[in-house]
Amino acid sequence: MWWPWRRRDPRIADELRFHRESLIDDYIAAGMDRAEATRRAFLKLGNLAHLEEDVRDVRGRWLEDLSRDLRYAFRTLRRSPGFSIIAVLSFALGIGANVAIFSLVSAVMLRSLPVRAPHRLVQITRLLEGHPGQVSYPLFAQFRDQIKSISGAFANASVTEAALIDGQEDFVTAELVTAGYYQVLGLEPAAGRLLGPADLQPSSTPGVVISDGYWQRRFGRSPTVLGKPVTLRDRAFTIVGVTPPSFLGVRPGQPPDLTVPLIDSLMSDAQRRATDFNWLRVLARLAPGATVTQANAEAQVIFGAFVESQAAHASEKDRPGILGQRAGAFRAPDGFNVLRDNISQPLMILMGIVGLILLLACVNLSGLLLARAEMRQREISIRLAIGAGRGRLVRQFLTESLVLASAGALIGLLSANWVSAWLFRMFVNGRSFNLSVSPDWRVFVFTAAIAIISCVVAGLTPALRAVRANVNPALKEVRAQGQGRFGRGLVVTQLAISMVLVVAATLFVGTLLALNAVDRGFDPEGLLVVRVRSAQPYSAARAPVVQQALRDRLASLPGVATASASQMLPLTGGLWDRGVQVEGYLFQPGEPDHVGFNVIAPAYFSTLATPLLAGREFDERDTAASLKVAIVNESFARHFFRNQSAIGRHVTSVGVTCEIVGVVADAKYQDLRSDIMKTMYIPWTQREGDQPARYSYVVRTVSGDPQRLSPTVERLVGDVDSGLHLATATDYDTIVNRAMSTERIMAALGGFFGLLAIVVAGLGVFGVLAFQVARRTNELGVRMALGASPTAMVGLVLRDVAAMVGAGVTIGTVGALAATGLVRNILFGLTATDPRVFLVAAIAMASAALLAAWLPARRAARVDPVVALRHE
Amino acid sequence: MADGSKSDLLQGTLDMLILKVVALGPIHGYAIAQRLEQMSDAVLQVQQGSLYPALHRLEKRRWLRAEWAQSDTGREARFYTLTAPGRKQLDEQRAYWDRLSTAITGVLRTAE
Repeated sequence: MWWPWRRRDPRIADELRFHRESLIDDYIAAGMDRAEATRRAFLKLGNLAHLEEDVRDVRGRWLEDLSRDLRYAFRTLRRSPGFSIIAVLSFALGIGANVAIFSLVSAVMLRSLPVRAPHRLVQITRLLEGHPGQVSYPLFAQFRDQIKSISGAFANASVTEAALIDGQEDFVTAELVTAGYYQVLGLEPAAGRLLGPADLQPSSTPGVVISDGYWQRRFGRSPTVLGKPVTLRDRAFTIVGVTPPSFLGVRPGQPPDLTVPLIDSLMSDAQRRATDFNWLRVLARLAPGATVTQANAEAQVIFGAFVESQAAHASEKDRPGILGQRAGAFRAPDGFNVLRDNISQPLMILMGIVGLILLLACVNLSGLLLARAEMRQREISIRLAIGAGRGRLVRQFLTESLVLASAGALIGLLSANWVSAWLFRMFVNGRSFNLSVSPDWRVFVFTAAIAIISCVVAGLTPALRAVRANVNPALKEVRAQGQGRFGRGLVVTQLAISMVLVVAATLFVGTLLALNAVDRGFDPEGLLVVRVRSAQPYSAARAPVVQQALRDRLASLPGVATASASQMLPLTGGLWDRGVQVEGYLFQPGEPDHVGFNVIAPAYFSTLATPLLAGREFDERDTAASLKVAIVNESFARHFFRNQSAIGRHVTSVGVTCEIVGVVADAKYQDLRSDIMKTMYIPWTQREGDQPARYSYVVRTVSGDPQRLSPTVERLVGDVDSGLHLATATDYDTIVNRAMSTERIMAALGGFFGLLAIVVAGLGVFGVLAFQVARRTNELGVRMALGASPTAMVGLVLRDVAAMVGAGVTIGTVGALAATGLVRNILFGLTATDPRVFLVAAIAMASAALLAAWLPARRAARVDPVVALRHE
Repeated sequence: MADGSKSDLLQGTLDMLILKVVALGPIHGYAIAQRLEQMSDAVLQVQQGSLYPALHRLEKRRWLRAEWAQSDTGREARFYTLTAPGRKQLDEQRAYWDRLSTAITGVLRTAE
């Protein structure tokens, strides 16, 4: 083996030997015979080995000792490959799981924007139940102009647009930004220039900035890209610059292709003027010396005045809602991080789970290392007897665990990257998030740190106990007893950790089962959801023609039973809501008059397989000119009409009165956890408003995978209108799964680690019992000889198991109860303190322990007294 | 010293003597030991046990450089040479020694 520090080996022994030989030569030259000369030289120089050690002490020996220890560790570990492989794999699993989750934590929660002083950035926004919402343009302008503790602010909105470049149409993600975007961020261009005040002058052609990724993807990094004209929403722009490769926009995971100045003509009148049209996000930079607390206080004062004036113009009924709104400013070094808001809680829970797994692995390894030290007792005793220092021996043992932990960490690090990428895909589950989760410097530091910590946790106690061994064999018996107690302590620890993990697993699996059992009010199987986009918006007159044609063509496809369309589909994020008046119903004071509102095409409910409870669906008879009609859901009917029929009743909203023609079963629109909304549906032919609406199309296939239809659908979309493109074609099961992606991950990982913990704890119980039975063979033999029955022997072992499981489960229960606050929010259908959960977990633990005890118990029952007594 | 007994070296003096000897040219440990004995007329006793730790300490401080080469007898020996910082160190120690011995001599004279 080659060691870098070997080359600098000073060869002290050689140097000293040269000295001695020169001395002998001189003595001989002076007339002594060789024997006498040698004797005199030895007398003069003393013990060369001793002298060599003195010199080594001077030179410092830390590195050298380490190299020796490492070589020795490698040699000993190679001699027991079975142990080494198990140990390395345990470390690899424990460390790898931690690295994988931490990579996600680092990527999602710890990365700052690559801009100047990111910690000085604050998001200023309305707060919806404590979460950041969006703001209107007038509110943004007030924040920007009136808050004194910021040096600048910008607002932005993200859109997907068709951009015309070089005569080719391209769907791009564009970031619409107000003036000062790059100045507030403090960003330098990689090429050309970034947006400035000139781009907002109405007279000139405004510039756009492209991202490094888009430059690469679309233009192959061609320098001629600067100055190219771009057409966006019929307006002309020029590409003026490229952002640096490290800058991926202000929304982590959603890098923009184009950054476009928010010129007046890109905003509708409502977008610019309406105080309740919330469509922007605001980021600001704190002024020098100002704090986020000051900015927060100012934002609240300004927002207070803002909602006051808003409420003054609102109806009596809406006023409390408006005045109840909150705003705030908080640090946003990572920009608008939706991912962090969404998955940081499950990530922290997973971090806790894998932390416990690593602890479990360490405890398990501690037991293995202890057993190993036991076997090496002779070696240790000899080394102690010939004068090895205990500290030195402990270092030697720790080096061994360090080798194991490092090897495990290496394997863990290599596999973690793959696991975290897979986990991230599961978390975002088809949503378009583009975030690199490959390890950054934090991950490397973290890996090294936990490798060293776990090496010490696993290796220190066994090492200390091993060198406590006394050279005097008479004390050996006492020590073996102690070792047994320590071993049992380890097993109880394992059982306790496992109990916590099993409780977590039960909670998450239970949550997933409960969500799966939720009545969704429709049948997703066999449904294909089709979304389209058009390069240019259709006119109000043309849009319905294209939309109805598309729906009719989809319905007549071979292999399709029915097809329909709606503005909002179940489980895709909720409904619009509207205030209503209902015929024959008087609202109580303070009772909200809002209901869910959806616009649908004919055959919507038969396509979704939502049961029609009374009346009829919309069909071709319901035109813009015919009687205004509505369908309501069961909750609506029950709330407003009690036991009477809803059919023929009237409901009025935004000044339009509709006759109710049907009642359908409830369906969940937001997600599976949310409550059912009282909902009214109107036919798409009778929708008010002159702006064309966007629809999702839904197709019920006759058989097989709905996704098979995608190519056909894509061609069909182009046939209906050349300006129309297929955006997505997704089977509905995928969408339903997306609504449960976090729960699925938690159940899968929680379940996996829970199972693993049970197995590890079972093995621990088995190991200790087997050891105890073997050690007590003699005692058991005596008991048998004195008339104890085999059943009593089994009872002896089982009492042992019961004691350990009892202790472990109790400690684990206490631990799990202490941690319930962490998981409360993500549970569904059960609570974190549900006694059933703890019962299930305790039964699982006990069964595993009993299973593990079976073999040792049988051996105890079969002890032959004669053999056992002779054994001594 | 009338009884001819050899005195132990003063603390730190050994380093200075070694630097002085090595300053004369590349030299191995055995030769240094011999030279020290000769130079001090065998009055100063250099314990063999302290020579090598001292050599390696000076090397570690970068005042000496060492490399293996053939000795006169044809054997491989470790030869030491003085480095630039070593020479500076020698000068400083020497100046200090001169001041010290002048001062001590002065004290002894006055006392007579």
